[in-house]
Amino acid sequence: MARISKSSKSLLVEEYITRLEQGSALLDDSPQNLIEVVGILKSYGVVLDAYSVNLNYIADTQFLKLFPFFKYFNGKVNANTIAKFIAHDRLNYEYAEYCMKAMFWHGGGGVDAYLDTPEFATETERLIKAYHRYNPLMLALHKAFPDFMCEQMRQMAYYSALGQFWRVMSDIFINLSDSYEKGKVKSIPDVVQFVLDGLVADAALPITYTVHLRGQEYNIIPKSAGLTFLMDTGVPYIEAIFFRGTPFAGTVSYNAQAYEIPYDLGMFNYGALYADPLPIGGAGIPPTLLMQDMRHFLPDYLRQLYQVKSVRGLGDLRVQICESFQKSMFCVTTAAVKGLAPHPLDTNDPEEKLANRKYLTRWLNRILESQIIKVNNETQDQSALRVK
Amino acid sequence: MLSALILIPCLSAAIIGLLPAKGNSPRNLAIATALSVLAVNLILAFQFDFQHNGFQFVEDIAWIDWIGLNYHLGIDGLSFPLVLLNSFLTLIAISSTNPQIQRPKLYYAMLLLLSGGAAGAFLAQDLLLFFLFYELEIVPLYFLIAIWGGPKRGYAAMKFLLYTALSGILVLASFLGLVWVTEANNFDYLFLRSHHLPLATQLLLLAPLLVGIFIKIPIFPFHTWLPDAHVQASTPISVLLAGVLLKLGTYALLRFAVGLFFDGWLYLAPWLAILAAISALYGASCAIAQKDMKKVVAYSSVSHMGYILLAASATTRLSMSAAIFQMVSHGLISAFLFLLVGMVYKKTGSRDVDFLRGLLNPEKGLPVTGGMMILGVMASSGLPGMVGFISEFLVFRGSFPIFPIPTLLCLVATGLTAVYFLLVINKVFFGRLTEGLAQIPPVKWKEHAPAFVLLLLIIAFGLKPDWVTHWSEVQAIALLPGS
Amino acid sequence: MTDFLLENFWIIPIYSLIGALITLPWSLGIVRQTGPRPAAYINILMTIVGFIHSSIIFNLIWSRPAQQLVFHWLQVADLDLTLSFELSPVSFGALEVVAGISLLVQIYALGYMEKDWSLARFFALMGFFEAALAGLAISDGLLLSYCLLEALTLSTYLLVGFWYAQPLVVTAARDAFLTKRVGDILLLMGIVALSTYGEGLSFSQLDTWVEVNQLDSTVAAFLGLALIAGPIGKCAQFPLNLWLDEAMEGPNPAGIMRNSIVVSAGAYVLIKLEPVTTLSPVSAYGLIIVGSITAIGTSLMAIAQIDIKRALSHSTSAYMGLVFIAVGLRQVDIAFLLLFSHAIAKALLFMSAGSVILTTNNQNVTEMGGLWSRMPATSLSFLVGAAGLIAFSPLGMFWTYHRWFSGSWDVDWWLLLLVMFVNVFSAINLTRLFRVIFLGPPKVKSRRAPEVPWQMSVPMVSLMMVTLIIAFAPIEWPLWLSPNRPLVLAQPELITQYATPLLIVSGALGCIIGSTIKVRKAWARSSNLTLRFFQDLLAYDFYIDKLYELTVIAAVSNLAKLTSWLDRYIVDGAVNFVSLATIFSSNALKYNTSGQSQFYIATIVIAVGLLLWSMINGHWSLVTNYWSSMM
Repeated sequence: MARISKSSKSLLVEEYITRLEQGSALLDDSPQNLIEVVGILKSYGVVLDAYSVNLNYIADTQFLKLFPFFKYFNGKVNANTIAKFIAHDRLNYEYAEYCMKAMFWHGGGGVDAYLDTPEFATETERLIKAYHRYNPLMLALHKAFPDFMCEQMRQMAYYSALGQFWRVMSDIFINLSDSYEKGKVKSIPDVVQFVLDGLVADAALPITYTVHLRGQEYNIIPKSAGLTFLMDTGVPYIEAIFFRGTPFAGTVSYNAQAYEIPYDLGMFNYGALYADPLPIGGAGIPPTLLMQDMRHFLPDYLRQLYQVKSVRGLGDLRVQICESFQKSMFCVTTAAVKGLAPHPLDTNDPEEKLANRKYLTRWLNRILESQIIKVNNETQDQSALRVK
Repeated sequence: MLSALILIPCLSAAIIGLLPAKGNSPRNLAIATALSVLAVNLILAFQFDFQHNGFQFVEDIAWIDWIGLNYHLGIDGLSFPLVLLNSFLTLIAISSTNPQIQRPKLYYAMLLLLSGGAAGAFLAQDLLLFFLFYELEIVPLYFLIAIWGGPKRGYAAMKFLLYTALSGILVLASFLGLVWVTEANNFDYLFLRSHHLPLATQLLLLAPLLVGIFIKIPIFPFHTWLPDAHVQASTPISVLLAGVLLKLGTYALLRFAVGLFFDGWLYLAPWLAILAAISALYGASCAIAQKDMKKVVAYSSVSHMGYILLAASATTRLSMSAAIFQMVSHGLISAFLFLLVGMVYKKTGSRDVDFLRGLLNPEKGLPVTGGMMILGVMASSGLPGMVGFISEFLVFRGSFPIFPIPTLLCLVATGLTAVYFLLVINKVFFGRLTEGLAQIPPVKWKEHAPAFVLLLLIIAFGLKPDWVTHWSEVQAIALLPGS
Repeated sequence: MTDFLLENFWIIPIYSLIGALITLPWSLGIVRQTGPRPAAYINILMTIVGFIHSSIIFNLIWSRPAQQLVFHWLQVADLDLTLSFELSPVSFGALEVVAGISLLVQIYALGYMEKDWSLARFFALMGFFEAALAGLAISDGLLLSYCLLEALTLSTYLLVGFWYAQPLVVTAARDAFLTKRVGDILLLMGIVALSTYGEGLSFSQLDTWVEVNQLDSTVAAFLGLALIAGPIGKCAQFPLNLWLDEAMEGPNPAGIMRNSIVVSAGAYVLIKLEPVTTLSPVSAYGLIIVGSITAIGTSLMAIAQIDIKRALSHSTSAYMGLVFIAVGLRQVDIAFLLLFSHAIAKALLFMSAGSVILTTNNQNVTEMGGLWSRMPATSLSFLVGAAGLIAFSPLGMFWTYHRWFSGSWDVDWWLLLLVMFVNVFSAINLTRLFRVIFLGPPKVKSRRAPEVPWQMSVPMVSLMMVTLIIAFAPIEWPLWLSPNRPLVLAQPELITQYATPLLIVSGALGCIIGSTIKVRKAWARSSNLTLRFFQDLLAYDFYIDKLYELTVIAAVSNLAKLTSWLDRYIVDGAVNFVSLATIFSSNALKYNTSGQSQFYIATIVIAVGLLLWSMINGHWSLVTNYWSSMM
């Protein structure tokens, strides 16, 4: 990442604001970028579908279990699935949990706030009492450590919330890929618009979490809580996963005396937009799991691109996937930024424009610290090469 | 049988040189030659009686009567492991050569000639014959460095040539002096060995011989040609240079310096032991400051050859065996390290410790090379389970009763080995991959095959050291008179 | 069947080695389509097999006398190197601890490392690590023990270097290796010397040799000092203690092993070597002095650490210091009990620390708080682990101290004071940590802290049980290691009467201080300059690393630069000049290869050619005759 001086940075922010106002995306538009973004979002969509199904399965059936041995099986426990599990011939649902935990840990948004309300506490208490009705040992434990199972249920709520969020995202991405194949999506701004439309369409989708136990229904997050898709899961998700993230043990020292990790979670910049793709595949880099999962579902056109893009062909596939993935996440971020703007970005009303600018500056100051500049520079280098 | 070890490579070199080259034919022929030499060696190994004290498979033909030169070959427990090592490393060197090398005919011919010359030197039981082979092997090596070397190859090759030619002259002078003093009419080793000379005469003859040998081994302060030669030589040549040609020096040390001038040797031994320790420490100390990976390995060679001198100067029953073992062990380990450094250079185009970073990266780096490199430097710094430990342990254990202080100093050098190698490893292989190395080609498994074989041997001999020691044990003791 | 298992007891370390080898397809990246977890399962399976095998033997050997198994590894000249193993309750007790903790740690790692794609490499290293430790437990020879200690050094290097791309790991791994290596090389010197003077290198041979040897007292002193250098490095004793602090950059499961059984492995060898190391009073005093300095110094360092792992790892050094003192006093049974009690409790503490780190994504204790009621397994583990270490609660360490001062052993007031010192500071440290981590209001990083999954909590709870149960071990310990059972002193001295109450008081005092002192706020410093000075002095380990930098490291690197310079400009030049000036003009060494140098080559080639020609000329018949006679 090139160091940017203060004045040149504000210039850069200006430049990107203009871009966004003119309807462009953060990511430069180029044919290769389009192939990479759409192709990777297709495989991401497939993976997210599986993740989402699993997260919802865990939230609905594995809550309060001390030994959820088969939580990744989605209820299909047979010799075949067990053999595949042992051979690690499966998707890495650990990554979905990792995202869920990061989101839970960073908090923010309505879900996080609701988990601290008395309503949540009462309903959870009722569920715990019912669940362990015949288990005095666990009830005693609950008495001694009253927050233990409560905290587990908070986590379950996040399993469910992220599962619901990814359900929507997965559909958007797969539809995007279908549109692309039908020739409707032709550029990066088209991709952004498609994602934006998807987000807006489902923005008010309620987020709820209900579990069933012995015929009883427990509304851990009832509809009446008024939690919605975009503001209560989408925004916290972008904040927690795209921007903040958690430091990777493989690149950052946790040593307290080294003071490498900031105290303030708001200063965290370990998220997907900031991550360095080069160490992917190495030790202590959790996103490797996601890249590994996506490698199974790459569309052929993308696989062919990777084959020629690197000296190693598919030998460094996971790093290449990560590079494309980062590009696609810039598109999703653009869509989110556009969607959350106080006024439409192409407005001509000066007052609205001013409000937009204020809003965009705040975002871009953070976004421009990420890998976007580097990614765009590389895109420009490639186009320059092609012109030659 | 023994002549075959010399003639097969030499004839094959001639054939490769003369026949018109078609595609890969020089390379294939060279590999076939190396394989057949190795096969002959293995047949020998089965027939070799390692309990027998003295030369076996002797071939003795009078050649030039008027100068007393005989074509006299023989093999014993001292030369056997080295001959085997030579044929094995020749195969490794050929197979690790870039198949697209320039001027393949000349290259493979020279390589085979080099190998044949080295084999001849190990087998010769006639002092003059030894000298001839000792010189013969210099010429192809000169060309191998001067034609296929790095940017400063001319300088390095010339330096190598001058140093080793001087070494040869000194050795020859000593041999001629010996024949003159003993009034013998030939150069037969056993015959000359049976002569007992007064101490002063021995010292007089030993001095030039030692300087000549020290240049070849090399021992401080005659070592400076080696780092230059290694840095400029291509990988396969470095493998042979470190693995085989330096061993000619240590072989001559045991065979001639100890074997022919034992009293003089004993007289000088305390000083030689100190020199050995200095050489070991000096080499290690220089290695720490190097920025070129190959130079680090080269100076490490200087350091490790010091141990052999130490063991030889101790002249205990154990230390003589240990000296031979250390030759084999260093031959394998340094060849292994040079192969790996060569691999890094081939893929990244650099050996600069300050530039290379993070090569362990599993997707875009050279992780397997890195993993083997870690094992290689561990072997070199004497980690148990690999051949370096037991050979060094025997050296130290054998020398300690006679020269405790030099032995302890050499042990310090062993400690320093870990220092300079870890500095290299942690810089080159750990950390984040350098941006400039994001597009380096991968290493194919086939390319690693020579290194794998070496690694297996390094571990196998480390776990079962008696597979090496039993060849030379009897003969090593027989080098000492009166036992 | 049992006989078969008994006869082949030496195979136990090999199980995990095989496990490590089987992981290669995954760790080398040959298998790329599927994930690395099978490697982990295989290793766990191998550890279970090893654990079962050793448990069966452990149950069988109570009634049998100790038995040695000797392999002749290498016989050269007059040297006979043997590898010997011991079948005894002590060795198998140690093996059980190794296999048990290793098993728990591997299951724990399955949870802790679940997001790490290099799982296979990690488990391969753990398998190798475990093999070396298991081998050490049953080794009965110095040579084998040395080899295995070196294998530990290597695997520590590789495990600390596991996250190789992280900048601090790069130096930490290197320093860990080199520091341990300093000790190892000195130990090797000792072994070389001992092998020269003695009769053999097996521990029983050494025991008998010690009785009859007539070694010069200076030599004996040096020998003893060299031999204790290895354990000093392994057990992170002053002045080779800093690597343990740095090694905390590695993954926590390896940290659990390192702080419990790996440091113990060094001390275990020391215990086995005791007759030789205390041969000379110099080395015996050396042990006591090193142990005391470390115990005091690291106790102080520990209380100033804000990193959860480092606060615990410095305390490891302190307890190892006590072990050193016990060995120096020749009270090896006590040393063994100290090791045992410490290993279990410390492993538990580190497991708890790991789960805190994983949940809060943080190692800075000043940023934690309020985990108690949300993480029962973790907080109880910490509590029990701490209780196991502090002589206040009636668990392992208390009974060990009690045994030490109960009148059977020759103890002195200074020793009691020292033990009390360690106890007070250990109590302060652990109470302080417990307070800031588990009590108080949750801070931003510990606000959402669900308990860790079963892969981690089950090992914690199991080890918690073990810690509670093994409180009996020090009470029932039959003093196997002492050749003569120490007599109960007829007249109990004052010290034996007061020791136990004093220890309890010291533990209580520590707990009180620990629960009342002001703890540092996150990222804020006291404004009191004196306080800050001492805080920094202790937090940065008395600046020992700076001391190294200024002395040893500077010396070596300057010497290297000097020799390298000498080599390039003086030696090379001088030798070039002296040896060649007389023969060739020095121009020949210039870079160009044109003109003169080619002339020299030509000369040499022609000369050799002529020589060969003159030889062969007229002698062809000879050569052909020879070959025809061979045909």
